[in-house]
Amino acid sequence: MSLEIRVRKKLKYFEIDLDFSCPDDHLLVMIGPSGGGKTTLIRMVAGLESPDAGRIAYRGETWFDSERKVDLPPQKRRLGYVFQEYTLFPHLSLYENAAFAAADRAEVGNLFVRFGIDHLRGRKPHQVSGGERQRCALCQALARRPRLLLLDEPFSALDVVTRRCLREAVKGLREGLTCPILYVTHDINEALFLADEMLPIVEGRIDRGWMQRTIAPIPDSEEAPPRATRQPRLALVY
Amino acid sequence: MDWQPFYVTLKLAVATTGLLIVLAAPLAYFLAYARFPGKSMIEALVNLPLALPPTVIGFYLVVVMGPKGAAGRVWEALTGGSLLFTFLGIVIASTLYSLPFAVQPLKAAFQRIDRRLMESAYILGLSRKATFLRVIIPNSVSGIAAAAILVFLHCMGAFGVLLMVGGSLPGETKVASIAIYEAVEAMKYREAGLMSLCFIPISYAFLLLVNRLNRGA
Amino acid sequence: MVRRSGCGWVLLLVSVLWLIPVSVSAQERLNAAVAANFIQAFTEISQAFERKTGVKVEATFASTGSLYGQIANGAPYDLFLSADEDRPARLNREGAGERPFVYARGRCVLWSARKDFCRARDWRTALQDEDVKRVAIANPETAPYGTAARTALVKTGLWEALKQKWVFAQNIAQAFQYASTSATAAGFCAYSSVMSDEGKKGCFYRLEEAPTIVQSACILKRTPHRASVEAFAAFLSSPEAEAIKAKYGYQ
Repeated sequence: MSLEIRVRKKLKYFEIDLDFSCPDDHLLVMIGPSGGGKTTLIRMVAGLESPDAGRIAYRGETWFDSERKVDLPPQKRRLGYVFQEYTLFPHLSLYENAAFAAADRAEVGNLFVRFGIDHLRGRKPHQVSGGERQRCALCQALARRPRLLLLDEPFSALDVVTRRCLREAVKGLREGLTCPILYVTHDINEALFLADEMLPIVEGRIDRGWMQRTIAPIPDSEEAPPRATRQPRLALVY
Repeated sequence: MDWQPFYVTLKLAVATTGLLIVLAAPLAYFLAYARFPGKSMIEALVNLPLALPPTVIGFYLVVVMGPKGAAGRVWEALTGGSLLFTFLGIVIASTLYSLPFAVQPLKAAFQRIDRRLMESAYILGLSRKATFLRVIIPNSVSGIAAAAILVFLHCMGAFGVLLMVGGSLPGETKVASIAIYEAVEAMKYREAGLMSLCFIPISYAFLLLVNRLNRGA
Repeated sequence: MVRRSGCGWVLLLVSVLWLIPVSVSAQERLNAAVAANFIQAFTEISQAFERKTGVKVEATFASTGSLYGQIANGAPYDLFLSADEDRPARLNREGAGERPFVYARGRCVLWSARKDFCRARDWRTALQDEDVKRVAIANPETAPYGTAARTALVKTGLWEALKQKWVFAQNIAQAFQYASTSATAAGFCAYSSVMSDEGKKGCFYRLEEAPTIVQSACILKRTPHRASVEAFAAFLSSPEAEAIKAKYGYQ
């Protein structure tokens, strides 16, 4: 198992108590009602917040361990993180943004072409659309050759059509990457489309029954985590 | 009309502004982002020159920078000269006097930056210091400019502090505000009037600029 | 609810503070504008006058230049005690002041907080010493004591020669402050200041080359208390007042 997470953190209205792992090559979607602790969890994995107790390790390397007092800062974890907004630096052009921490600047050009924003490389973030910004944010994260990719509701602020395109792009990304991807969303369709595995988080805890309660019951056993299929069980209307 | 006092005033304002922006930026950074006990006490200390009459500040500076004061003695040991009645002395005085005018706008500018930008920088591998220099500063440029102009204007008008600390040496510490005061005392009203008139357009123009910058931010 | 009652208290406090200074006093009060150097002598003289006549004389001490400026712009003083002869004469010419009269003659001295400053042969030698880096002098353009000091320095050729040592104070009181806090090694001060408690801690040289500073005063025409002011003006040259003045080095 690549990424092992076991954390506890006391929040204002409830306590986060999670224990799960994510293998390499997996796209793990965290889904659940908003305010449930998903973003806090992602931030803890990134090193932007610290759990009260627990352990976070990646491929054996300890990133956080409350018992041994280890807390690696985000700078040292070599991740990619795409926020919903404010990922890009306003004072730099899209190209400079993506190349900011790039392992190899030459790759940036390729990424831009792949995500279809090469013609915008000289523009500043406020001069392009929201969808184009998020594409650039993805390039910025990927250019770093991250060991883990974190996406926190990256497309929630965009319109439906753009969201669909970007969703496809992420799915395509998934094919080429070897690192795990943690994806937070509250959009069930998106989750079903992208996930290799889904993790419903409700009030800080994994609640595998949430899926069943929220959508149509899945005939599989209740213990097994819900898995996404190529034919989603819902009728998705666009 | 004697232009030398204006030259001294401008020199002082430029020197103080330059020095203060460099000193106030890290201070404003800590006050904007850091959380530690006693932070409000430090902030109150920084704001003290706003509340104290300039002559009080000047009085204590004379004591501290004089040959018997802590700062004065250290300086004399290091360089053999004195801090008082020198250009450096009035730069120090006006830096302290204008400190809150630099720290407050800078702090406000830094706080306007979304935390996620800084977090994005950390995740991309930038240290806190590098983030400050490469992300925060470039994105607070209009706030920095506004702070610089406010400090500049405030220095141009400094009087009470410099009266105590400067000794009114022509060409070195005799700034325009003191020259106007002395002209009035010597009953040279026409000269005083001319000098005063020169201040108004300069200050007004800069204030308009501050307004423009603040709105643009 | 709490906010409204809080407002009420503030209003009450403010109105009480406003009313307090309005003291119901039948005692007559005079307002005098007095040159900074005369502060100690004036305080004693006015106290003596009050004991004698029951009339209180309040004073504002500042540099002669500022006081003149205020009076020229209509400040409501009854009496102006200047440090020079020029300004009362001007007020008289402008029609704001009555005929001026001399109330004191002062002397300028060179004072230092360090007793060893006065071990030199004379004041000129003391000033030329290398260790004496800064010397305070009241602005010669605006303060009569500064003008007197400059005259002495020009006469002895030291004004230009020791130019880099001069530090200009705005008035004679500030010159003394610089010297007494050791911001400067010494200062040209009024003789009266060396008689003060602070002044006695140091030492001084007399300046033979400095002219006597003739200090004159004038009653201001707009005074509503003419009788009392004239009484006080007369009291200034009474034997009692002369004794006080002599105590502070005035002639």
